[in-house]
Amino acid sequence: MRNAQSIRGEVRIFVQIMMILLVLASLLPLYDVVAASFKSGDEFLVNTFLPPNSPIIDNYVYAATSGRLLRFTLNSLILVPIGLVFYIAVCVSAGYAFGKMRFASRRPLLLFVLFLMIFPQLLLATQVFRVISILNLTDTGLGVILTWVAYFAPFGTYIMTTYFTDMPYELVEAARMDGASHLRILTTVMVPIAMPMIATIAIIGFQSMWNELPFSLLILQTEASRTVTLGIAMMKGQYGLRVPIQSAALVIAMAVPLIIFLVFQRYVTLGVTAGAVKG
Amino acid sequence: MTRRGLSNDGIAPYLFLAPLLLLLAAFILYPVAMNLVASFTEWKGYGPMKWIGLANYQTMISDQSFWTSLSNTAILVCYIPVSTIITIFVAALLAEGLRGWKAYRAILFIPNLLGPVIIAVVFSIFLRGDGPINLALKWLTGSTSPFLTSPVYAINVVGIVQIVWVHLGFGLIYFLAAMSGIDRSMYEAALIDGAGFWQTFARVTIPSIRFAVEFWVVFSFIEVFARMFSFIYTLTQGGPGYGTFTLEYGIFVQGFAKFHSGYAGAWSVVLFLFCAAISVAQIRVMRRRNP
Repeated sequence: MRNAQSIRGEVRIFVQIMMILLVLASLLPLYDVVAASFKSGDEFLVNTFLPPNSPIIDNYVYAATSGRLLRFTLNSLILVPIGLVFYIAVCVSAGYAFGKMRFASRRPLLLFVLFLMIFPQLLLATQVFRVISILNLTDTGLGVILTWVAYFAPFGTYIMTTYFTDMPYELVEAARMDGASHLRILTTVMVPIAMPMIATIAIIGFQSMWNELPFSLLILQTEASRTVTLGIAMMKGQYGLRVPIQSAALVIAMAVPLIIFLVFQRYVTLGVTAGAVKG
Repeated sequence: MTRRGLSNDGIAPYLFLAPLLLLLAAFILYPVAMNLVASFTEWKGYGPMKWIGLANYQTMISDQSFWTSLSNTAILVCYIPVSTIITIFVAALLAEGLRGWKAYRAILFIPNLLGPVIIAVVFSIFLRGDGPINLALKWLTGSTSPFLTSPVYAINVVGIVQIVWVHLGFGLIYFLAAMSGIDRSMYEAALIDGAGFWQTFARVTIPSIRFAVEFWVVFSFIEVFARMFSFIYTLTQGGPGYGTFTLEYGIFVQGFAKFHSGYAGAWSVVLFLFCAAISVAQIRVMRRRNP
C-alpha cells in the first residue's frame, strides 16, 4: 500500500509515532487482562496494573476446571464446526441457485433473502424459542445449530451469490450440453473453483457462530451445555468472582479465535471486504 | 452476463433453495410475523393469546423506558460519524505506506475477532474503580470516573468502545481495500501539482471511495440498531438504571424476564420498522455495487 506519499519529512515521523501510540493504547485493555490473569488475589489488591511480580498459573487452573472453561470451549469446538458444515452447504447451494440458475422468481426471492439479512436476534428470539420448543430441541446442540444456520445463512448466501454470478456462464452451459445435472456441475465444477470464497464464508460463519450470544443464551439452559461465549457472559454476572480469575477465563476464551486469525488471516481479511457487512 | 441457450431450469432451483427457504421461514419470517400478531394481544409467550387491540402500543408510548431506549440509541447513532471520520482518516494515513501498516491493521482488528462478549468483560475489568484508566485519572485530576456505574457515562462507553474502537480495526481493512483500488496516477498527478496530505485526502481519496463510505454508514446503522445486545447484556445488563437500555434490551426484559410477550411484540414492531428501513437502504447500496 503506497498510494499517496504526500506526507514527508518530520511530519511523517510524527505520524509514525502517533500510529504506534494508537496501537499500543488499543492493546492496553488486553494487556491489563493478561497481566491480571497471572496475579494472585493478594498481589492484585496492591498491584492492579503493573506486570505481576510473582506470576502464578493458579487462576488458569481454576478457570479451566472449576470455572468449566475447558468444557465450554470443547462445547463450542463441537457445535460450531457442525454448524459450519450445514451453513456452507446451505449457502453454497442457495448461492449457486441465485447466481447460475434461471427461474421466474429468482429476483424477488433474492431480494427477500437480502431483506431478512439484518434483523437482530432479539426481534426473533421469543418466537424462535417457541419454534425450538415445538421441535423439542430446547437445550440441545441441534436447536442452537439450526438457529445459527438460519440466522447467519442470508449473509453467506449473498456472498456466494455475487461470487457465482460473476463466474462465466459458459462453464455451466458447456457442462449442461454434456448432459450434466446442476448438482453435478455445482459439486465437480463450481465448488473447486469457489474454494477461496467458501473458505471466506467459512471464516465469517465461524466468527458469527463462535461469538453468538442471544440464541445460545435462550436455548442452552443447562450449565454443562454452554458455549464458551455464553460461559464468559454468565461468568460476568457471577457476583464476587475475582478479577484475576475472570481474566484467566478471558484469556482461555481468546485462544481459539486468535489461533484462527493467525492461521487464516488472509481469509479473515477477505471476509471483511467480501460483503462489507458483518453477518 | 448472458443467459442465452438453455431455457428455464424448472423445479431444480427451488430444490437448491429449499434448505435456506425452510430455515428462513421457520426462524425469521414466522417470528417476525408472529411478533406483529402478538403485539395486539396479551400473551405470556405460551398459552392462549388475548386480543387487546392497540393497548400494548398505548402502554409503550407512555412507558418512560421506551423513550429512554430511543434516546440511548440516538446517542449511539451520534458515534457513527465519529467512527466514520476517525476510521477513514487513520486508513488514509496507513495508505501512505507507513512502516508496519500491515501489523497495525492486524493488531487493531483483534477486538473484532474476540467478539462483543469478551470485549465487554475486558472493559468491565479495564474500567473498574481502581483500574488503569481510573488510576491515571486520579493521578491527573484527583478523582475517578464512574464509567460503568453512571448512566451518562455508561452509554458513552458503549458508543466509544463498540462503535468507535472495535469498528476501527474492521474499517481499516475495509477502507484500505477500497483505497488500494484507487488509480495511482491520480495520486501522482496530485503530487506533481504539489498537493499535500489534506488536499489529496479531500480531492482524490474521499471522492474515490464514496460508495465504500455509503456502505460503511449503512453497516454502522445495522450495528447500532441490530448488533448491540451481546455487548450491552454482558457489560451493563442495560443499566445502570436504564442507562444503556435499547429497544433490543427492552424486548429481552419484557419478553424473557417479565413474560410480557405481547408487550415485547409492540417493541419488536418498532425495532422491525427501523431495521426494515436500514435493510432497504442496504439493498439499494448493494445493488448499485453489484447490478
